[in-house]
Amino acid sequence: MPPRMRVAPKKTVSFSDDENMTRARQLNSKKHQTDIYGPPVYVKKSLLTVPVHLVALLYYYIKLSEDFDDVRLLYGLIPMQIAYLAAQFNRSTVYGHKILKLKLSLVPISLGAALLLTLPCMLIIILMGAPVRMLLRETWLLAAHCCFLAFPAVYSVFNCDFKVGIFKKYFISIAIGCWISCIVIPLDWDRDWQQWPTPLIVGAYAGAFVGYSLCPYL
Amino acid sequence: MNKRLLVLLVLEIVAILTFSAGFFPQKSVLQGDAQFNYKPEAHRRMAPKFEKMVLVIVDALRSDFVFQKDMSEFGFLHKLLNKGHAWGYTAYSNPPTVTLPRLKGITTGSTPNFLDAILNVAEDDVSSNLKEQDSWLRQFRMHQKKIKFFGDDTWLKLFPSEFFDETDGTNSFFVSDFEEVDLNVTRHLPQQLQSQDSWDVLILHYLGLDHIGHKGGAFSSFMPPKHREMDAVIEQIYNAVGEDTLICVMGDHGMNDLGNHGGSSAGETSAALVFISKLLEKYEKPLAQQGQDIPVASSSPEYNYLTKVNQIDFVPTIATLFNLPVPKNSIGVLIPDFLKLLSPADAKTKVIDNYQQLLSISGGSTKKLGDPDAIIEEMREVQSDLAKTATNYNYLLLGIGFLTLLVVSSVALFFSWTSFPSTFGLFLLLGTSLLLSLSTFGSSFIEEEHQIWWWTSIALVGLSYISAPRELGDHLTVLAVLRLIRGWNNSGQKFVYEYTLYELLKQHYQVEWLLITTTIFVVQFQGRAKGFSAFQYSFLMSVLCLVYKATWSIVNNEQVPAWLQHICLRSYSIMKGVSKDQIDFSDALVPMARLFFQVTAAVIAVEVIRHQFKPNGPRLLEEIHAHISTLLILQTSSANIPQFLAFHILSRKLNSLWSRRQWSFPVLMTVNLVLQHLSFFQFGNTNSIATVSLTNAYNGVSENYNIYVVGALMCVSNFAPSIYWSLSCLKILYSKSTQSKWETFFTSRLPSFLYYCLFGCFLLGSCVILRYHLFIWSVFSPKLCYYVSWNLFMNAIIAWFFEGTLVALL
Repeated sequence: MPPRMRVAPKKTVSFSDDENMTRARQLNSKKHQTDIYGPPVYVKKSLLTVPVHLVALLYYYIKLSEDFDDVRLLYGLIPMQIAYLAAQFNRSTVYGHKILKLKLSLVPISLGAALLLTLPCMLIIILMGAPVRMLLRETWLLAAHCCFLAFPAVYSVFNCDFKVGIFKKYFISIAIGCWISCIVIPLDWDRDWQQWPTPLIVGAYAGAFVGYSLCPYL
Repeated sequence: MNKRLLVLLVLEIVAILTFSAGFFPQKSVLQGDAQFNYKPEAHRRMAPKFEKMVLVIVDALRSDFVFQKDMSEFGFLHKLLNKGHAWGYTAYSNPPTVTLPRLKGITTGSTPNFLDAILNVAEDDVSSNLKEQDSWLRQFRMHQKKIKFFGDDTWLKLFPSEFFDETDGTNSFFVSDFEEVDLNVTRHLPQQLQSQDSWDVLILHYLGLDHIGHKGGAFSSFMPPKHREMDAVIEQIYNAVGEDTLICVMGDHGMNDLGNHGGSSAGETSAALVFISKLLEKYEKPLAQQGQDIPVASSSPEYNYLTKVNQIDFVPTIATLFNLPVPKNSIGVLIPDFLKLLSPADAKTKVIDNYQQLLSISGGSTKKLGDPDAIIEEMREVQSDLAKTATNYNYLLLGIGFLTLLVVSSVALFFSWTSFPSTFGLFLLLGTSLLLSLSTFGSSFIEEEHQIWWWTSIALVGLSYISAPRELGDHLTVLAVLRLIRGWNNSGQKFVYEYTLYELLKQHYQVEWLLITTTIFVVQFQGRAKGFSAFQYSFLMSVLCLVYKATWSIVNNEQVPAWLQHICLRSYSIMKGVSKDQIDFSDALVPMARLFFQVTAAVIAVEVIRHQFKPNGPRLLEEIHAHISTLLILQTSSANIPQFLAFHILSRKLNSLWSRRQWSFPVLMTVNLVLQHLSFFQFGNTNSIATVSLTNAYNGVSENYNIYVVGALMCVSNFAPSIYWSLSCLKILYSKSTQSKWETFFTSRLPSFLYYCLFGCFLLGSCVILRYHLFIWSVFSPKLCYYVSWNLFMNAIIAWFFEGTLVALL
């Protein structure tokens, strides 16, 4: 009986840096010319940021796993997201004209941060309409999926001195994915994939896929 | 533009009403009484198989309550079924699965039309009377049989009293009564069974099982004892009657697992039907019953047990067994198992007679068919065709209505395009409208419409937050308040959540009444600075409202804290000048409510007159909003009242966001629309006729009441939250208006008008396209009714007429 809900942008750190963001956007459009005002942050427009592993995970989730096993999917997601961050996302993130190296010490910190973020994220999911006194485990799992989907962005927020503005888009795209996927919940088809939180997890993955692939172009 | 908008509004309403007139025609009913169609002399020579009938209707007796091992406690009946003294069936009862239309079906054999479902609510209506329409009761009566009736008084509304020799009606109003309502029926049994010469047909209608369902669902702990009680009734009758008596035990409809009914789910449409007689032992059991041990151990998710028949098949079957003509409007097909009781020649005569009777309704021509089985096959097809085309749509009216609405919508769209400079606002409005409009094509989206409004409202909060990320606190408050409102009640058909705030408050009545008291005072005073006289009458209104609500709850056996009971007693003794011991609360309700209405009217009149002498601008709207809100609270059931406190907080936040963020009119009016609908559904309303609440429609109304007053009170109580939001947004609009007042008024009416038009185009379209859909009567037609009432009441009367009057007084 999961009511429909969606996930909000998980922006709890509010050192928002809109100025830098807008500047980065202008620069983005000017083919990343150097500027003298300060270090812009942006994600390179490249096919490298396309998170192919999310498609594979989604395929596993929908076709291969039994009864849409959320927990195993999460076990699969975390290492793959770390690999994605190291091999793809971090290599495309530009901070002050140069691509930063992966700071290994920051990875566990941001993993911990993502884990901590599951709690406010869960609160927001409940505020957006998830049930309060039942299905809490499922709701937390959904929050965990969302937070670890956002993990590369969370890492980059840490890595780029809390320039949150540029990475807001990634959180929002995951939230929008969840939001859109809710539409199947009220349908009276009585399928297993309408069970809470299956459609939202699929939506979150789809939203993250679109987000990581397209946000550099926005 | 203003006059043109008014013309558009009138045209829109005319269009919708025209469409509805074409969509809900009165079903054409064949007049007169049936005669035997085929070889009348042959029929007259036959002897009826039974002389007497006892019909036991157990309200909401679902098939598994009788046939399934884990659900059923009908031990004696199971024995009879296994011995072959009873033949059991699962009877499909046509939606709407509420008592009145079902009784029509069971007695006349016709499929119900949609109006019957509405008339089931308007209990005192007489147009649903079956006095003139042919039924098996009428046929029995015409053949000089004596009928006695005990049970649900719906029968007495349907049939004139001269049909019955003796009656005792029980009222289905107090759903919380499980025992008394059935004992009042059973207490007649011993005497009737002793004097069996005094009746030929004995009808008993038991309501208790349905009441248990409504209160506690299909798995309620009260169910097993009730099953045993009903089983004992059957045993008592069976042991007392002879071979010439046929006992029929049936449910008029089923229920879903929550105990509700009215819709078309498998549980609601699968009723049990059992024929019992000692005579049946001599004949072979029905095929499905042979070798089947009853109760059935396996459970069927579709509630199909034993043979499946149509519930209306009962009518020709009874007619055949008692050798009476099949009632004229019946589209039932006699149950073939019972042909075994007749000689082959007689059986063939009866089948052909039933066939010709069906053809007289469908207007088809007789096909040459050989054996009875083939004829019955053919009759089944005619029956399903007839059930589908139960009503004839008037396509001319449908066309005129639809086209007019299309034209009105395009003009409204053009007006909006030219008059709103902000494309963002228009985009928001059109997006919301289209989203809702598209949802009208899915029956589940209509049933779960509250989810769509919730979905839209969190999208709006999200959008607003993204555009103003610095106002995190306000947005979180708004979201939290919205979530509270969402958690207040269940709406829709699919999900039922146990821990709604409504239920929690009902359990913790101390908290409930504290919150109610706070709400009433906060909403009335609204933190305004007041003069002494204004303070006095505001105080008087609040106290009157609180005392009335508390007294109403005391009279209706709800729990009310002691301090409040004390206040109620004190205020009555002051009001009536009598001592506390002589007070009878139930007599005090009507004068109390009337006093409240009079005081409210007087206070509003004083405010208006004072404003004419000393204009104070938008302050008038604030005052009137406060008074009307108190009125709305009076028309709300008690556990919903604290929602107004949430509304109040939300309304303040909206006001501050609106003034800081400089929203354009379409944005504010979209928010208004969303809140109106969201709060409407979260008050527990749905798009099903079943949730129209009459609880507060009789406030201040005495015995000889006026139907229009009750109607108006019913509209106000069901639309109370929507009226609150409509007025609230008017207040916000005029708090910072720079344009002239009429310009503001008309520009602000345009967005919701556009919504109603666009939504209407799609809804009307989907009703026409899906007119043969399975759920057309249970989902789409009720939605159309709700749409019409939103248009007439919320849009025309409240938003245009009432608020227009307020603006004129400004």
